[in-house]
Amino acid sequence: MIDTKKYTFTFFVTVAIFATAFFASTFFSNKRVENIKFIQDNIAIDILASEAQFDLLKEVPCQNVDDSMLSPELNILGDKLSRTETDRGAKDEDVIYLKKYYALLQVKDYILSKKLSEKCGERKKQVFIIYFYSNLGDCLDCQKEGYVLTRLKEKYPELRVYAFDYNLDLSVVDSLKAIFKIQSALPGLVIGDKTYSGYKSIEDMENLLPDTLRVATSSLEIATTTKKGR
Amino acid sequence: MIEQILQALMYPFVFLSLYFQIFLLTSFFESSKKIKDEESQDVSEYPSVTIAVPCWNEEKTLRGTLDSLLALDYPLDMLTIIVVDDGSKDRTYSIAQEYEKKFPTIVRAITKENGGKHTAVNVALSLSTSDLFGCLDADSFVETKSLKIIVSYFVNNKNAMAVTPCIHIKSPKTIIQRVQAIEYLLGVFLRKAFGELDAIQVTPGPFSILRKEVFEKIGNYRKAHNTEDYEITLRMHKNHMKIMNSHKALVYTVGPATFKGYFYQRLRWSRGFLENSLEYKDLFFNRKYGNFGMFTLPLAFTFVFYGLYAATWALYSMITHYTTVVNRLVVTGIHFKFPTFDLFYFNTTLIAFVAMTMISMFLFMLYVANTLSDDRQEFYKNLPTYFLSTPILLLLFIMLFSRAIFDTFTHTRNDWVLQDTKEG
Repeated sequence: MIDTKKYTFTFFVTVAIFATAFFASTFFSNKRVENIKFIQDNIAIDILASEAQFDLLKEVPCQNVDDSMLSPELNILGDKLSRTETDRGAKDEDVIYLKKYYALLQVKDYILSKKLSEKCGERKKQVFIIYFYSNLGDCLDCQKEGYVLTRLKEKYPELRVYAFDYNLDLSVVDSLKAIFKIQSALPGLVIGDKTYSGYKSIEDMENLLPDTLRVATSSLEIATTTKKGR
Repeated sequence: MIEQILQALMYPFVFLSLYFQIFLLTSFFESSKKIKDEESQDVSEYPSVTIAVPCWNEEKTLRGTLDSLLALDYPLDMLTIIVVDDGSKDRTYSIAQEYEKKFPTIVRAITKENGGKHTAVNVALSLSTSDLFGCLDADSFVETKSLKIIVSYFVNNKNAMAVTPCIHIKSPKTIIQRVQAIEYLLGVFLRKAFGELDAIQVTPGPFSILRKEVFEKIGNYRKAHNTEDYEITLRMHKNHMKIMNSHKALVYTVGPATFKGYFYQRLRWSRGFLENSLEYKDLFFNRKYGNFGMFTLPLAFTFVFYGLYAATWALYSMITHYTTVVNRLVVTGIHFKFPTFDLFYFNTTLIAFVAMTMISMFLFMLYVANTLSDDRQEFYKNLPTYFLSTPILLLLFIMLFSRAIFDTFTHTRNDWVLQDTKEG
């Protein structure tokens, strides 16, 4: 009456589907990590190249400094890393490693953009925001602040946002916290060398950003519109 | 931590659901030749049949039900229709009398004080002298060939004690009726697959036909927590009686038109399922009762509790997701952005893969059910409504499962059943 074979067969088929799903899931998850590592390596090369280029052109006037010296991939990487952290969890070893690497790349990029600003003054002045967050559940406004910064990056492509996990165990991040006197009241923001704590809306942020950024963006928009109009 | 534990509990649920689907599909395809053969069964003899039509305030639909019965392609001298008015306050009884006058050799009209559906069916049962006995709710309608097809199962399978039909929702219009149209179509497949396993869970009210000797051997219908059709199925299984399914015998039933009506109908079914199952607990995991005891019953019982958890978890995940989307919009405002395609952002978790497999199998079952039935439904038109209603359905399931479980274990009275009858 009871077909034991069928019960057993179904069990093994179910296990097989689960195992396949498990391997596929692991495979794609590892692919993601590899993808991030690949982008990070690209950025590292970009930064090294830019630094070398910068050193080479030390004696050259600012007109000759390339506009694409700073890597545009840094923002994309941030989004991908955030997604990987959601999938694999904040305690995942790969995630922690990638976050450390990402933090270092951001610091290097920040130093490079500072150098550019110092050398070329207003012409190459970079506008950046340094943002400290926590995802341990102790910063309720951090998620909202993240949305604000994502929107600002979309609105002002010239803006560079460097996001650091406040709790990341990395000496460079600790140094940044010390330099900018970031307290545990998060979100913590650094805009134009001034430190702010607590949530800032899009309007608050726009008021704190220099006018040059808006001018640059609107002239970029005009240029794009004119091109399209032709 | 709690969230992780709750999330981890999802794996056994998904495993069980997948097992359930594969088991049914395997059983179905194993029997595909037999199922095909059933379709060409001849009717060499016409046993006498009594159809009981229990009604309570059914003046709107009774005529349609009786007309469909009178139009059956079956020798009329072998057919008796007994309309039992269970104390209606509307014109139900006078409509029944009208039909009795018009078809005195076929239709009988009886009226009695309200006592519940099982009492109405039992009155008809006590008056019946036929070989076969069935019931058709007064909100259901049969296709002309249905009885002949069902009878062919009895004629060709001497051990068949009951035959269930293929039920569709009649002209679904409202959202919840469209949802039910999908559920009933899935039911067509499930009943067939369970039938092949001798593990049909219920002989439903609309047009399930039983041999009269079943009642002589195991007794009449009981109140059975207002799910007399489920209880008699349990009793039949307990007495090792064979229940078959006829996938070509079409019956249409009017589904509740409102969410409230749907809720109370399902609440009655869930409560009845739990109460009756507990009364027949000796059938659980008992090899003597075959696949019904080993598969259908334990799994269905588990799904009530696990379903409550899974629905809660799924709804919680959905709410969390949509809250994030809304929060984002509140903070940043609405900005149009061209969607970008990047494989990186595809959900590739284990649960996502298994869920995709299960949804594919669910759609496949609907397709198979549609090819089984002679009335090809344009079910894909109802699918968007079905999937878009998921959040509301999840909320309804949480409410009705928790209420059914609570009421069962606290022995709360069934006052809400009246609401179901009015709505449903």
